[in-house]
Formats: sequence, C-alpha cells, structure tokens
Amino acid sequence: MRLSQKVRLLAGVLVPMLALTACSGGSGSGAGGGGEQVKVTVWSWDGTVERAVPGFQAANPNIKVEVVNAGSSQDEYKALDNAIQAGSGVPDLVMFEYFAVPYFAVPGKLTDLREFGVDKLKQDYVPAAWSDVTVNGKVYALPSDYGPSAMFYNAATLKKAGIEEPPATWDEYYEAAKKIRALGDDYYIAQDTGDIFFLLSLIWQAGGRPFKVDGTKVHIDFTDAGTTKAVAFWQKMLDEGLINTKITGWSDDWNRALNDGTLATQTMGGWLTSTLPERAPKAGGDFRVALMPQWQQGDKVGAANGGSSFGIPAAAEHKEAAFKFLEYFTHGGGLATRVDAGAFVPNTSVLENKEFQSKANKYFGDQKTGVVLAEATEIVGSGWQYPPFFEWARSIYGDLASPYYTTGKGSLAEILEQWRQRCIQYGNEQGFQVD
Amino acid sequence: MDQATASAMALPDARRHPAPTRKRRKPQIGLAFIAPFGVLFALVFIVPILYAAYLSFFQDKLVGGNTFVGLANYSKLFQDPQFWDGVGRVFWFTLVQVPIMLIFAMALALALDSLRLHGTKFLRVTIFLPYAVPAIVSTLMWGFLLGIKYGLFGSLNEALGTDLNPFAPDTTLISIGVMVTWAFTGFNMLIFYAALKAVPRELYEAAAIDGANELQIVRAIKLPALRGSLVVTVIFSIIGTFQMFNEPQILPSMVANSGVTTFYTPNLYAYNLAFTGSQQGYAAALALVMAAITIAVAYAVQIRGLRNASDH
Repeated sequence: MRLSQKVRLLAGVLVPMLALTACSGGSGSGAGGGGEQVKVTVWSWDGTVERAVPGFQAANPNIKVEVVNAGSSQDEYKALDNAIQAGSGVPDLVMFEYFAVPYFAVPGKLTDLREFGVDKLKQDYVPAAWSDVTVNGKVYALPSDYGPSAMFYNAATLKKAGIEEPPATWDEYYEAAKKIRALGDDYYIAQDTGDIFFLLSLIWQAGGRPFKVDGTKVHIDFTDAGTTKAVAFWQKMLDEGLINTKITGWSDDWNRALNDGTLATQTMGGWLTSTLPERAPKAGGDFRVALMPQWQQGDKVGAANGGSSFGIPAAAEHKEAAFKFLEYFTHGGGLATRVDAGAFVPNTSVLENKEFQSKANKYFGDQKTGVVLAEATEIVGSGWQYPPFFEWARSIYGDLASPYYTTGKGSLAEILEQWRQRCIQYGNEQGFQVD
Repeated sequence: MDQATASAMALPDARRHPAPTRKRRKPQIGLAFIAPFGVLFALVFIVPILYAAYLSFFQDKLVGGNTFVGLANYSKLFQDPQFWDGVGRVFWFTLVQVPIMLIFAMALALALDSLRLHGTKFLRVTIFLPYAVPAIVSTLMWGFLLGIKYGLFGSLNEALGTDLNPFAPDTTLISIGVMVTWAFTGFNMLIFYAALKAVPRELYEAAAIDGANELQIVRAIKLPALRGSLVVTVIFSIIGTFQMFNEPQILPSMVANSGVTTFYTPNLYAYNLAFTGSQQGYAAALALVMAAITIAVAYAVQIRGLRNASDH
C-alpha cells in the first residue's frame, strides 16, 4: 500500500516534468496544427543517416528523430524480431540489407510503402536497387546505399607481377592470378574461405538466377548455364591454388595482407571504397577501382554485393512521420548531406551528377572512383532475387563450405547442392513451397 | 538412517510445548525474509523456464504463423544429428578438459598452501585474474596468440619449420580447451585453497610431531580435505562446459575455417536456431533437453562424489 502511494507521488512529479520537456522540445511548432510532437525512432548502422537529422528537424519541427545503432546486420534483425514478437519497442524505421527485405516482408512484418505514394520515386533509383526492395509487386523499403560489385586492385602489386592493366575479363584474371602467385608464397590475387556473397555476385554477373521467388513459392536451381559457368571458373581458380584459402575477409590477417600488398585484388561491393582506407592505411595510393572483370571481351555486365535500404515495420507507431524522414534522407534534401559524408547511393540524380563524378579520391591515387562505381551500378544485371529465408541460408553456408575449404575434398557444385537441399527442407518447414 | 531421522524428529517435538506462540510466528517472519529472493527467483528463473516449456510446444512459421505442435519439436530434436554432434562434442570436452583443469587448480592450491612460496597473495590474485577477463576479450587474445599467420604460432612455425595450426578443424577444440583452462583454473584454485585454509593448523603440527613428511601430510590430510570442494568444482565445470558458447561464437570471425559450425555446441545451436532460423520453439525444446542432460550428469556426479566422500 505504501509502495503504491509512492508510485503515485512519483508519477505526480514525473508526468508534469515530462510534459514540460516535451513542450520545450516542441517549442516553435505552433504552426503544426495540434503542435503535438512525434518521436521517430530509427535503427541504423549507417553513420551517414544521423547527419541528415538536423536538416530534417529544422524543416519539420514537430518531428523528433532519434537514430539508434541496434547492431549491424544479423544483430539488428534479431533485435527487431524480438521487439516485434514482444510487441513493444518496435522502431519506426529500420535498416535492412537487401537480402533481408523479403525475410521481413513476406510474413507481413513490413509496411507496403505504396500507401505513401512511393511509386513516383521509382525513377530516381537504378532499376536493380528498386527491384531489391520490391517483393511480389509491393514496395517495402527505400534503397539507402548500394554495393555494385567492383574490382579493387593493388596497382603496385600488379606492377610487380608485370601486369600493367587490371584484368578486364575473367580469362585475364586467371592469367594475372598465375603471375601474382609466381611472386612468392604469400602472394595471391584474392582470398576466399567460403564467401557466399562473392560467389553469388559471380553467378549473378554470369547471368545465373539460382533463386526464383513468386509469393511463397521458391525455386532453387544451381545448374542453370550462368551458375554453372561461374562456379566452374571459381572452382578452377581454387583447384589450381591461385586463391588464398587461409585468410578470412574482415579478419586481422586480412587487414595485414591488404596493408602489405600480398592480396592483389578484392572483388566486392562499392562500399569497400570507404572501408579500405581504414583497413589498409599503409597501402594508401596503391589501390584503384575497376569494373568487375567480364565474362566476354567487350561485355558490360555487373552484379551487386551488399547494399541496404530502410523500411517501416508494420507494428511501427509513427508511420507517417517515419516515411517523411525516410524520403528526406534517401531522396530529398538529406541525400546530399549523406553523399558528402561518404554514402554510396543508388539514386540516378546523384550518380549522374557531374560534381559527384569528378571528385578525385586521394586514397585511390586521385582516381575518380565515383565514375567507375556509377558505371558499375548502372550495369548491374536485373532480375536477381534472394529467397525470403536467405538470412538463415547464408548462416549455414559456412557449415557446408568449411570442410571443402579445409580439406579440399568435394567441390563448390557439391556444396551448393547440399545447400539447396537444406534450403528446401528449411523453407518447407517454415511454410514456403520450396523446390 | 531411519533411526537417526526418527530421533531427530522426536527432539523438536519434545521442545515444542514451552513456547507455542513464538513458534507459530516464526515461519511468517522467515517468509518475509526470503520473499525478495523468492520473487526474483520466480521472475528470472521459474517464469522463463515455464515460458520456454510453453514455447517448446509451438512452431512459429515465417508463413502461417504460430501453431501448436505438441511434442513434435522434441521428437525432431532426438533425431537431429547436428544436436547430438554438439552434445557429443561438449561431452568429450568435459571428459578431457575438466580433469586437467582441476589437477592444475589443485596443484596450485596445494603449492600456495604449503607456506613455502614467497608472495602468495600476489600469486593468488594473479592466478585468479584470468577469471575476471571477459570470455570475449580472452578469446580475441588467444585468437591472436594461437594464430598461424601473424600470431605466436606463426613465429613458432617459422622458427622451427613446422606446420602446426591450433585452429585447424581437428585442433580447434584443443585450443578452446586451453582457453577455458586458462580462464577457470584460478577460480577452481580459489575454491580448493579456501577448503585447505579451513583445515585446523593443529592437524599439521600433530602430523609433524608424529614424524610425517610434507608428502604424507598432503596425502593423509590435505587431499581428503579437498574431497567436498572437488565435487563442487566438478559440478561447476560440467555446467560451464556444457553451456560453452562464447569461444565458438567468436572464433569464426577471427580464424578462417576453424571447423566451428553453427551447431558446434548445443548452446550455440540453440542460439542460431532461435535468432537466425527463427525456430524459437525448437530452440526452447533444445534448451530444456540440454538442461535435463546437464542436470542428470551433474546429479550423477554429485551422488557418486558424496558417496565416495562419506566412505572415507
């Protein structure tokens, strides 16, 4: 009894206090109708989003935006799933990698953004990015950054191996790999310890479309012509010992190898442009960016590797306000701020911007990296789909690939077939129709 | 046994008459004292277990939502080779690592208690210190130490011309064993040391007067005194290793192809099932079965250990 009295007393003190702070925060919002202030909570691990907040709040004084880093990738998805399941603490705006959009969209956990008239924004985004956020004809997120696959190469190492021009085709890449390997024990053209995103980007570029998603129907096939070609090529690279299978990407060993130039190339998403200077400061001036090597001389086809978007959970409280901010930093006034802060966005208005294209990047020996990445973005092959349970699928890929990468027994094709079987089993258990 | 309990019950009975009122009030006061504990215990222990049990009867599908599936999660679990792979791994790990660690801890405790070392206080803290290092930090540290590219083993291989890899699929478990031993030896040492401190010094004096040497004192007095704490440390260690999680969770991000899978230990498997595969029901069933296995093993050890202890 005494306790509840205390609670009441406390509430009596706190509520006016909260009201006071709310008022002070909302001062100057007189014009906004009721003057009620709305707080939008954003979950993002993209640091550039926060930069757009001051500009947005100045233009929308009755919306307060709070950007929270709820972890990256998997960690954030877990937190979101927990919040949705618990029914409380659901944010209003959440960052998703493209492959995670269907995972949340298909079970109805995301808002279809077409109710906010999002269709008219479509022409500002490159088609591949737009198709990444579209699931079964509905739009569940707006693209916020993009990872066109590109080849980052250490020009100094290539030169040492007697290679003047970066490999333009995969055949040239193979020849270059042999020359780099000849430099010594630690020299390799690239590393791979079972990087599924890299393998998929190779397949994507070769025209393979192993996942076909139609509603809850998922068809998986790793035997189409493009997939077979890409897998056979990478198998050859591995078989001939041209790839370092001891260094994992993002590990300390990887940092060191990038710094000392023993890993000559990285075929990865364009986001590496901003990561590489942090990972390999000592190699400053040595790295350059080029398009992915092509399958055929004269071709110009690309693929994506990563990139992310923002969506509004179905259980979000302030959807209108959330969308206002979403539009602001992915399309409107906040976009330029984010680009200045280093974001690589799939908006055509930015990619075709002369100023963006002519900017010299000091780390890359004053190369105009924007031109290369803009082109890499525009040539991304269309029609790629991820299965809705890709988040799970990629988590178990390592289990299946690891024995091959350590013992050399088996093959990539066998791993992919096992992976397909597991996906079929899991997908069907989860209520999809997978074959 | 029966006689003993009968006489024990008879005793308070005879004493109950003089002050009946005080007796009646006592339990209520006692309850009030344990209430804060009881409430917390229920909230953070009983309720979550019941909730896990409830969850384990459901399957929440990405398409189709939550449905009651009865014991389906359990029957699936018993046929899941990945689960048993993990159980087998922690079982073998316990069988090998726990004895090694406890022998180390015991030897250190005996050394500290021998009164022949200088700076025992400093040593005691130093040996205990690894226990205070968070598992995440220690795993990162050992990852560097045992790394073959740039770590200590890299230099070692270079100097000796060997090709040792502590994080090959076949050796990773041994490396984890080294990490765990390093982290928990000090903790167990402290338990042993406390038990030794409880031995009255007069016993040693008496033994010395009888002409016993240091080894005989260890065998006849100190080791028997450690029996009780041995049971405790074995049980703690079993519970700890059966719940192994941090090390295999962090290693894959540091080392390429160390053989650590998403189902390397039962706990890691449950975590991945629940949070990556969104199979909370199945994960809950796994957690409960694993808890039952752990309790069964710990209980068996306790019964055996106590019986042996009472024999002597």
